Amino acid sequence: MTTKNGSQQRLLILGAILVAVIAAFAGWSVMSKPAAQAQGAKRTKVVFWNEMTGPAQQQLNTFVKDFNQSQSKYEVVSEFEGNYNEAVQKIINTHGTDASPAVFQSMDISTSQIHHTGYTTPVQKFIDEDHYNVNQIAAGARAFYANKGTQLSMPFNTSQPVLYYNATLLKKYKITPPPVNPSYSDITRVATQLTDRSHKKVQGMTVEIYGWLFEQFMANAGVSLANQEDGHAGTPTAVNFTNAATVKTMKWIQDNLKKGDFVNYGAGANAQNNETASFLSGRLGMFMQSSASIGQLTTGNQDQLGITYYPHPDGQKSNGVAIGGASLWISNDKPSNVQRGAWEFIKYLMTAKSQAQWQVATGYLALNKDSQKEAVLQNLYKKLPATKVPGEQLRAATPNATNSGIFLQGLIQERNLTQTAMEQIYNGSDIQKSLATAQKSMNAYIQGNNRANGY
Amino acid sequence: MIQTKTRKPLRYLVLILLAIIILGPFILGFWTSLLPTADIAKGALWSTHISFANYAEAVKQTAILRYLLNSFVISTLTMAAQLLFCSLGAYAFVFLKFKGRDLLFYLILATMMLPFEAEVIPNFATVRQLNLLNHYAVMVIPFLTSAFGIFMLRQAFRQIPPELKEAADVEGLNHWQFYWRVTLPYARISLFTLAAYSFLESWNQYLWPMLTTFSDKFRPVQDGLRQLQSQETFNNWGMIQASAVIVVVPTLIVLFVGQHYFKNGLNEGATK
Amino acid sequence: MQQEITPASKPSLKPKTLNQANAKGFNLHVNDKWYALAFLGPSVLILGVFVFYPMLRTLYLSLFLTNNVGRPTVFIGLKNYVNLLTSSAYQASLQATAVYVIGVVAFTLILGLLLAQMAVRKLAGIQWFRTIFSATMGVSVSVAAIFWLFIFSPSIGLFDQIGTLLHLPLVQWLTTPGPAMIAVIISTVWMNLGFTFLILFGALQMVPQPLYEAAAIEGASPSYQFFHVTLPMISPTLFFTSTVTLIGAFKSFGLIDLMTAGGPNNATNLMVYQVYRDAFLNGNYGLASAESVILAVIIALFTLLQFKFLEKRVTY
Repeated sequence: MTTKNGSQQRLLILGAILVAVIAAFAGWSVMSKPAAQAQGAKRTKVVFWNEMTGPAQQQLNTFVKDFNQSQSKYEVVSEFEGNYNEAVQKIINTHGTDASPAVFQSMDISTSQIHHTGYTTPVQKFIDEDHYNVNQIAAGARAFYANKGTQLSMPFNTSQPVLYYNATLLKKYKITPPPVNPSYSDITRVATQLTDRSHKKVQGMTVEIYGWLFEQFMANAGVSLANQEDGHAGTPTAVNFTNAATVKTMKWIQDNLKKGDFVNYGAGANAQNNETASFLSGRLGMFMQSSASIGQLTTGNQDQLGITYYPHPDGQKSNGVAIGGASLWISNDKPSNVQRGAWEFIKYLMTAKSQAQWQVATGYLALNKDSQKEAVLQNLYKKLPATKVPGEQLRAATPNATNSGIFLQGLIQERNLTQTAMEQIYNGSDIQKSLATAQKSMNAYIQGNNRANGY
Repeated sequence: MIQTKTRKPLRYLVLILLAIIILGPFILGFWTSLLPTADIAKGALWSTHISFANYAEAVKQTAILRYLLNSFVISTLTMAAQLLFCSLGAYAFVFLKFKGRDLLFYLILATMMLPFEAEVIPNFATVRQLNLLNHYAVMVIPFLTSAFGIFMLRQAFRQIPPELKEAADVEGLNHWQFYWRVTLPYARISLFTLAAYSFLESWNQYLWPMLTTFSDKFRPVQDGLRQLQSQETFNNWGMIQASAVIVVVPTLIVLFVGQHYFKNGLNEGATK
Repeated sequence: MQQEITPASKPSLKPKTLNQANAKGFNLHVNDKWYALAFLGPSVLILGVFVFYPMLRTLYLSLFLTNNVGRPTVFIGLKNYVNLLTSSAYQASLQATAVYVIGVVAFTLILGLLLAQMAVRKLAGIQWFRTIFSATMGVSVSVAAIFWLFIFSPSIGLFDQIGTLLHLPLVQWLTTPGPAMIAVIISTVWMNLGFTFLILFGALQMVPQPLYEAAAIEGASPSYQFFHVTLPMISPTLFFTSTVTLIGAFKSFGLIDLMTAGGPNNATNLMVYQVYRDAFLNGNYGLASAESVILAVIIALFTLLQFKFLEKRVTY
């Protein structure tokens, strides 16, 4: 009998806890609701999907807030949808349902795929309607997201891959910094010196296992990744990972990893976080990443940040790298007033003021030409001259077929495969073999995909 | 007896060691949630600035409480629905006689072999067609019933003495009345086990909500933590650990208070 | 729900006459049909729509190529399967899954048994240990992943710090294939322990005490008692636990997604993660469906094994 009473008592306590939790939640949700509802009552809701993290996300949320306060017709609701790779299928999969976004950010390499779904309204429509002056937006960035004279989407966060070094650390160990447009051997020298002179306390350099960096090595060496001139001349039918330039690049990294001058931080968000953390705490001397990391690398960093162009193979001039980042698209499954609201929001993001603020906060390049005159940007250049480097790198390159992006569907697959190859190579596998395996899988994928889509 | 006495200290030592292994990750998680992120990033596991600042930050800057609410709503609805539909289904298999009963039972049993993880592609297409995406409904409707629940409750209902049913027939109780007044109270321990099981199952869902929710308004806590983790480029470990602790504490409390029931129920489930 | 049932239930509420009593058996059966429909209808509908149909649909999709919005366009027969089974990447995924599943099941059972065996003896304060040992049952997959992600993280993580203190060579836990697999196995085992402990503990408690007493009188050593009394007595529960753990391990996704995302070098690219990656990242739904079918077949086989066993025990 006593045990029965005991168990009933426990049940009672359990019930009481459950009730208390429900009550707390109910109270909290009632309290937090009215404010949001009152604001959104009359406005047209514009759902905006983005994949921005860290300082970029904070700045983007500030833009959203400011835009909502600047007018009373639309209410933009921003939702973070994970990384670029996840977002593409989410966008395609939700199209035509209540869950879909009105305006979304999608990465550079998804351009061909998103366009071919037919799920979007080209921003050209609104540019024409408003007689919007597109010439104020950087031409190189615009061209990346245009097709046959039609602007498909609006370039937004645009970055350049660059190399970062800890200038303070180099000074401490009396190492000459790398030149502004370094070759592979320039980087090897600095990495070796750092590792040796710090007695391995500082790791010299890391190249993240990241398909984007792989693509940029090829671009900077002037070789095409896909045939049909990287897809600029037609639908690609095959890729080429096993060319001499790529093998040479991979060998450069592999040799240095073996020697211990380079370290491997792996792939994905964790790798990015970890290499950034190590760099900021002075345990890593150099790494390569998007210029969009500048914001993160300068806030609260005691050490002086150095930036160079993307390294190029020895014995040749750098061909220049493609822009990275993402653009903003308008879905065509929403009523015209919602689409209009989406466009108004895009215009707001592209003003000289917003773009200048964007570059200062994040390191993404300001795309509005008038942004260069804005005081915030001028101040940044004065304070940190190195932040001019990404823009200079962009202007230094002459656009050609190999450095203007790859127009190929299934580039996510390409990145998965090249990353796998990189991982194998980093772990000591045969370079030629790893690349050939990736190439074979990618070619099979392209053939299947072309067949499935009737190209 | 003598043997056990000399071995006692050793036994305690092993017990304490095991307890440390089990509790280690909890303790470390809780401890780091009290440290400033800057200190964690430096690799320090000790700091002079112990505070709940990370918790304040998590609650203020993230939707962690909303995630908890969402999970709570989803899990409670799923649990209630499974209790109802599984018990009704189990009742039918025990007390009703109809054509094809055994065949249907084996068919339902067979669904236990099919992992939901292998069916997400068509299921996604279905809920998309029904326009359920990004709503509580999408995380509840596919799980309104469960073959496991029906199976388990059928076992429990079969323990009900046939005399009870005969007596009920004599008294003129119809099936609904017998179900409600006799069957459910009789099998309450099994029902409690199913409740706990379905609640936890729903609470721990990860893949399905990740595929079908697109806003913080409906995102349950598992995917909320994923969201927090992937948004943090700076590795704000202090805040992430604080969020994890916020998530784990309610389930731990429920577990400790309801331990007795979980234990009994689970063993019943395991030995039946 | 209730409205549906009330009309059907009316006849039996009426006062019984002899006539009706005679017809009762027949009547009941007619009623049963409607009751069955009302009672089972919802379950059958849900299971049909969300369990049966999708399996058939997955089978169908696995025979096609899908276009860039995920619709099946070109019928290719079994080519997806052929491609998969001959692809070294998929073979690696199968192999990784096998290693993971075996590792998880073995260590979960061994440690779970150790915990249960230690906690079953009566000692002062043992209740505390029992509570602690069951604690990870309250840990959900993302919490476990976050706790362990921190422990394994380079330079700031616990293992790295201990290693530095002891001057051991540093292990890049989550970025080298072997250690990454060990890391996810450790995390999964830890997460599983609470549940496994509770079940095995319950089973140990039910082993009749006289058996031990008899063994002790005959001078059997504790290890002899364990292998010849305990293990045979709890073997049904051990079997149940191992199949549950095994099936759970085959379905692992959340921990992988949060800790390694299938990397490094696909070393932890388990089957479910591979399905997710091909479908929801690469948009390759046909191929992912074929992978789903293979996964389903494997899990179905193990579930069947469990059923066979449970059935036997139920009849005993």
